[in-house]
Amino acid sequence: MHEQVEKIHRQVRSEPPNILKTLLALQEQVGHVPVEAIPEIAHSLGTTTAHIAGVLSYYPDLRVAAPGRHIIRVCMGESCYANGCGRVLRALQDRLRTDVGETTSGGKFTLDTMSCAGNCAVSPTVLIDRDLYGRVLPSEVETMLERYR
Amino acid sequence: MSSATRLYLSNDTSARAAGAGLLADAWAARPDVQLIRLSSRGAFFLEPMVERDSPDGRVAWCNVQPEDLPSILAGTGGTPVRSIPFLANQTRFTCANFGETEPLALDEYQARGGLKGLEEAFRLTPDAIIEELRVSQLRGRGGAAFPVWNKWKVAQQAKGGPKYVVANADEGDAGTYCDRMILEGDPFRLLEGMLICARAIGASRGYVYCRQEYPAAAVTLRAAIQKADEAELLELDGEPFPIEVVQGAGSYVCGEETALLESLEGKRGVVRARPPYPAQAGLFGRPTIVSNVLTFATIPQILSRGGAWHASLGTEQSRGTIALQLGGRVKHPGLVEVPFGLSLRQVLEQFGGGMAPGSRFKAVQVGGPLGSLFPADGLDLPICYDAFAKAGAVLGHGGIVVYDHETDMVDLARHFMAFTADESCGKCTPCRIGSVRGREILERIQAGGGTVEDLTLLDDLGETMKLASLCALGGRAPYPVLTAIEHFPVEFRSKLRT
Repeated sequence: MHEQVEKIHRQVRSEPPNILKTLLALQEQVGHVPVEAIPEIAHSLGTTTAHIAGVLSYYPDLRVAAPGRHIIRVCMGESCYANGCGRVLRALQDRLRTDVGETTSGGKFTLDTMSCAGNCAVSPTVLIDRDLYGRVLPSEVETMLERYR
Repeated sequence: MSSATRLYLSNDTSARAAGAGLLADAWAARPDVQLIRLSSRGAFFLEPMVERDSPDGRVAWCNVQPEDLPSILAGTGGTPVRSIPFLANQTRFTCANFGETEPLALDEYQARGGLKGLEEAFRLTPDAIIEELRVSQLRGRGGAAFPVWNKWKVAQQAKGGPKYVVANADEGDAGTYCDRMILEGDPFRLLEGMLICARAIGASRGYVYCRQEYPAAAVTLRAAIQKADEAELLELDGEPFPIEVVQGAGSYVCGEETALLESLEGKRGVVRARPPYPAQAGLFGRPTIVSNVLTFATIPQILSRGGAWHASLGTEQSRGTIALQLGGRVKHPGLVEVPFGLSLRQVLEQFGGGMAPGSRFKAVQVGGPLGSLFPADGLDLPICYDAFAKAGAVLGHGGIVVYDHETDMVDLARHFMAFTADESCGKCTPCRIGSVRGREILERIQAGGGTVEDLTLLDDLGETMKLASLCALGGRAPYPVLTAIEHFPVEFRSKLRT
């Protein structure tokens, strides 16, 4: 962890200290932002641990725990709502036997929601890692997940 | 490969989600196909669309499957693009390149009139640029609808530098996707608008705050900035004007301009009290123009065609065109650019094509998750700022979501309030506490434990949030909930404890 924080620090040193940018860069490399790294990040940016912890807890996309190998995000935006995203989410919950925000017991999938993917005209939307699925039917959930076996 | 047929296929995120990616994979190795990946026309109900050149313009095959390739190559069964009513009946200016050009082809952008606005801006003085915008009567397209020229004038006259130009690409309103289409499909138009603004106010640096949910947009935009830099476009009067793409991290309220600036500085995206306005003291306390992507993208043509041209479109208080984004249970979801002034009914019937098969209309929501709901008898409202303001509603960023007969209005109202409770930045009490209490009341009603007093309480709470919240998140959050109760009272009352 020390090396990674050092490396990111070198990358962003030329700019004014930017907590969010640093945390996003660390998450990009490690997959999440371990709480143990907070003091060192604070030290390298010349700020307090409270500032770092504040930013870390504020943004929904910053994670303090390692997610599953694949992250599933079901869009809950209004167009997706109108087109039955609730049914798609329930199908995923039933199939994975896991709740929103949780990871399956084998550590394979993390199930989450998102506010809007901007895919409203092809809704409902499910995002798995970087793959965006549109016009998803609850009956298609099984086949969709099989691609990530 | 002279024998290969040129086929045009969109690379837009939604087109890919609709199946364009599958087609590209299936046809990638075919020696008889030369695939050109374009932006999308925004007729998403027809995606994936495959087009070919013909002497009379492009011909399209719609909702294409991989096995349709032989008929496309044979040239049978296609429809001329200009005879597709959804597209032919639109008035496209800001969205004119959608489906026509390769997003990163600067030469194509120029060939279709791109950079003419910037050339004009270099001929004019900063004062004359701002005057042209005043004449155009352009109002910000992100939601607040503030006169653009006015904001620029304040930033131009503000003392102290450096000054900044920030494009708000945090398109968080559910039901909207036009900014995404510009970022992915016509990025040079955004950059041109930002450069014109920078020249007018004397800014030395630009930022695009791009939401994390739009990874493809950030990639395209960074590539476009690189190309613009190589073409020596990122210069103003001999000085460099670097533009940087900065990533958000999933916070809705960061689409509010002051929260966005906090986030851009790397802090918690918490709303600032105004005044001072960003045009006076914005990023790092310096004069900053924060405008929506669509606003910047509208500006190049105002310079190249003239402010009077822009003012000749639309209605008295709402000049120009509006990019509406249709979604929900409408038959033809997609992007619609039309002059202001059509009624909601006209848009839903002429472009939306009515309801999706098996659906009956129940309500339509305009302006994202903070927008008011309209029942069937409220559809004759003209789409323009003044008529919406008079009705206590907002156009927001132009999102239109249609709900059908299966929608449970109590659950929908709870969904809205839960959204605000999740996304409130926590700075002001009416929004932070009010949204949680509002959600709890709606949960109680939903569970069958609510009383008539709870509806009165929601009304009171809503008034407090409207009047006392620091920004539009808390200030607008009651509208969808209260309009749901107003137009569908029976659904709420039938759930109350007697």
